[in-house]
Amino acid sequence: MSRPVLSRRSFVTLAGAGSAAAAFGIPAYIPRIGEAAESIKIGLLEPYTGVYAGPAENETHGFEMAADAWNKRGGIMGRKIELVKEDEQNDPGVAAQKARKLVNQDKVLALVGTVSSGVSLSVAGVANSLGTLFIDSGGHTDDVTGKSCHWNVFRTCHSTWMETHATGYSLAKRFGKRWFLITPDYAYGHSLETGFKDVIARVNGTIVGDELTPLGTTDFSSYLTKIDAAKPDVVLVLVQGDDYTNCLKQMNQFGLLKKYPVGGPQVELEPLYGLPPEARQGYWGIEWYYKSDKTLGKGNKLAHEFVANTIKRYGKPPTARNAFGYVTLDRLAQAMSDAKSTDPVKVARAIEGVHFNSIFNGSGYYRKEDHQLMWPMWVAKIRPDGSPGDKYDLFDVTDIAAAEAIEQTVAQKEQVCKLGYP
Amino acid sequence: MIHDLGPQLFNGLVLGAFYAIVAIGLSLIMNLTGTINMAHGSFMTLAGYLAYSLVLRGTSFWFALIAAPLIVVVVGIVVERTLVRPLYKREPFYSLLMTFGLSLIAEEVYRLIWGPNGVPFSPPASLNGALSLGFMSFPTFRIFIAVVLVVAIVALALFLTRTRFGLRLRAAVQDTEMIAALGTNTQLLYAVNFGLGIFLAGIAGVLAGGMLGLSPTSGNALLMPAFVTVIIGGMGSLFGSIVGGLLIGLAISLTTLFIPAASEVSMYVLMAVVLLVRPRGLFGEEGIFG
Amino acid sequence: MTARSELLVGVVAVALLACAPFLSPVVHLDVSIVSEVLVTALAVMSVNLLLGYTGLPAFGNAAYFGLGAYGAALSVKYFAADFVVAVLIGTLAAVAGGLILGPFLLRRRGIYFGLLSIAFGQVFYFIAYRYTDVTGGEDGMNFPRPPVGLVHVAITETAFYYLALVVFVVCLIAFRTVVRSPFGRTLIAIRQNEARVRYLGLNTDRFIFVALLISATMAGLSGALFGLLINFAYPLELDWHQSGYFVLMMILGGGGTVWGSLVGSFIYVIGKDIISTITPLWQIFLGALFVACVLGFPRGIVGSLQALRRGGSQTAADEAANAAFDPNAPVEAGRGV
Repeated sequence: MSRPVLSRRSFVTLAGAGSAAAAFGIPAYIPRIGEAAESIKIGLLEPYTGVYAGPAENETHGFEMAADAWNKRGGIMGRKIELVKEDEQNDPGVAAQKARKLVNQDKVLALVGTVSSGVSLSVAGVANSLGTLFIDSGGHTDDVTGKSCHWNVFRTCHSTWMETHATGYSLAKRFGKRWFLITPDYAYGHSLETGFKDVIARVNGTIVGDELTPLGTTDFSSYLTKIDAAKPDVVLVLVQGDDYTNCLKQMNQFGLLKKYPVGGPQVELEPLYGLPPEARQGYWGIEWYYKSDKTLGKGNKLAHEFVANTIKRYGKPPTARNAFGYVTLDRLAQAMSDAKSTDPVKVARAIEGVHFNSIFNGSGYYRKEDHQLMWPMWVAKIRPDGSPGDKYDLFDVTDIAAAEAIEQTVAQKEQVCKLGYP
Repeated sequence: MIHDLGPQLFNGLVLGAFYAIVAIGLSLIMNLTGTINMAHGSFMTLAGYLAYSLVLRGTSFWFALIAAPLIVVVVGIVVERTLVRPLYKREPFYSLLMTFGLSLIAEEVYRLIWGPNGVPFSPPASLNGALSLGFMSFPTFRIFIAVVLVVAIVALALFLTRTRFGLRLRAAVQDTEMIAALGTNTQLLYAVNFGLGIFLAGIAGVLAGGMLGLSPTSGNALLMPAFVTVIIGGMGSLFGSIVGGLLIGLAISLTTLFIPAASEVSMYVLMAVVLLVRPRGLFGEEGIFG
Repeated sequence: MTARSELLVGVVAVALLACAPFLSPVVHLDVSIVSEVLVTALAVMSVNLLLGYTGLPAFGNAAYFGLGAYGAALSVKYFAADFVVAVLIGTLAAVAGGLILGPFLLRRRGIYFGLLSIAFGQVFYFIAYRYTDVTGGEDGMNFPRPPVGLVHVAITETAFYYLALVVFVVCLIAFRTVVRSPFGRTLIAIRQNEARVRYLGLNTDRFIFVALLISATMAGLSGALFGLLINFAYPLELDWHQSGYFVLMMILGGGGTVWGSLVGSFIYVIGKDIISTITPLWQIFLGALFVACVLGFPRGIVGSLQALRRGGSQTAADEAANAAFDPNAPVEAGRGV
């Protein structure tokens, strides 16, 4: 015998409750709907929850600084910049939906942000289908300016290839050509591995050990015990985030940091702060730094102001993440201003190829062929305890590498990247 | 290869000892009331963070090693009385879900209190060196972990076999109704049992904080291996958790030598195999799960 | 009267849903999120069938969901740029998964079944993460949304929504038919006391296996559609956390009810979207929801409404016929293995 799931009375109750819930939701949006109609809304997607919450926060601070700087000068074409933030939760599915919401509901004129590569790729795809600009400020995978490139996608931070080449040549010169790699066994690690293999081939060196550590490895001891037998000149640690902290801590406990030089493609201040001082060793690629003439450029007023203002406003010095946010929004705003338009195609044309000076040493430009920001990258030695009076001053910048020397050539890129302007 | 085997074996045993201590805590909680504590990792992380904060305020590492777990036990008992107790009559998967929700809250709370990046927690200088064992150089801290484990197990064994409370606990695992009928305060039993499991989690958490990184998401990585250990060793058997832990540690270490790609997934394959072939695990006893 | 009021509810609900593309912007929601609600509801239904009706802790359905998504992605990338083909292949991939895992899962019941599901799910997760050449690893797989071949019409967000709505309604009707059929009744009986069903001469393994396959199919269909919705497939879809969220949605809406899956999916997906926009502390709310639901609201919304309606007059026959969850059902001896 079939029985009704809901009697009419229950249904009415349910419908009433549902409407009440929806009505409750609407007021949450009124502040956003009621904003000044002339503002230029930029959608900011960052992983405010999850493992990358630290970098997310710092990128956001960089974005905010740039927005404020422009708004103080009257905004873009007289319109104020408004940042509309959404938490992409480090989840490509959520990011895709938030991107759609930002473009379709909040009417943002461009999307910026993201930290993890999967999310960057997902948002790039959605942005492309919606015909909206997306500037990837913090996702490093080569594919964003490689085989998944699009006319509407740009990338500020350095690519994985740039990371390996900036540090690879430096490490080979400084320590030697017998390398031992500790590589995370997933996409990011594989691409780093490929990059380093390219460098080692060019300098005629050898990889004497390549330990692929699977996802979820918290204990690296089984891999570390193999290092002695391989007798490397330098140990390259390719793992990132929590894994990086675990690995270095354990290397220190096994006494390996005293025995072998250590280095790697990239390190950020955020995870370094979580590493005990005795494990802070080695030479690493860094993408920007707040306290060196090599990274900021001698006498670069803009850069020094940026650093000072960040410290004043947020209580701590900016990291490379702040720089990504700042440069991204600053250049986006400049391009809109130059193009005198917010039309994505016009703005894209106005971004690419334009050389500019900013808060870093020298000049940079978003390359026309793949939309990668070509700016220098640096290698730094870690100062375990900072400098006297500044516990944040963990980097002693030693080398600078020009973008063109470390990124793939235009010819190489054009084989995989087809921008596809409409 | 043989020359590599020695260090890997030793390594695996010590690693296994660590998994064992986490698994025993889980097992204690599971055996008596059928509660599957998905927040076990969160309690561990809390202990690590508290130890870090205590040391930051000037206490010694040794003090923090005991004090932090004790504070976490208090939190644990509060959780047990308010959130876990209502679920005792229900099927195990309810506690699984509820504690899963708890772990989500905990992660965010830790992020709010201690920040989104990790915190630099390290063992005291006296434990930070390495011991030369001839065939390899081994971190003192890891040996310390093994020592702590042995002490904890011996203490637990003594508690369970030599004290009246321990006796009641063991009796309750076998037949709670009967022991209640005999006049024991079962609610107190449940609370203390849970507290005991959390205490072990706390100790493991402080040790993990010293060995690995300490961040809001630290707890997650250690939770699954602990569950796998309990399943393989046998639900209902503390001895099984020890053996299971050692086996897992060895398995992970040795597969690293032979098939590195498989080392983390081998854990789950092993888990599936055990569940299929002998769900009670190696030493499992008749318990909550039938 | 009762059959008519049920039909009325159905028609009104579908009519409301049909208006969603016009209603959603009013509450500042993109229609694609309502599509997500419908698509996710299918996955919740798959969990409901196993957990709500048959009483098996289905903690590994994310594996089928992920297989569906990756199946669709691989289909579009390497096989045919066709929407329907992608959905079919994705669903088939999930069914294949169910066929492979089913015989193993059948051997256990209760929490062992649940743990086994988790274990298998994690193996799939690791495979997706590691074999970056095929799956793209943690970078995921980006793929365009192909048109429906025959018609050569590109699928906009609105078109996708109506497609999803049609699929959902068909599945809902199918689901209802299954759970009301003798087969479905047997599943409920298995949930209440499997030993008794076996004593009656029925091969419970066969019933459970079929339920598993239906569940895998629905989860795979859900995954394939979700992949096509976001134009992406990624390993997190396979992780046991995702399985956990499906279970939460089922509990929220009401296990053992027909409409519970949609209600649960709606509350979770839309709720999470709205709350995460308002505050980065949304995870605390989500965790609290888990805790509150399990402790105080295990019957879920639809289940509680049903319980309210039954109120005082409850006969033994009613109890037996009642499909919805009784969270306080005693743990039976011998149910473990």
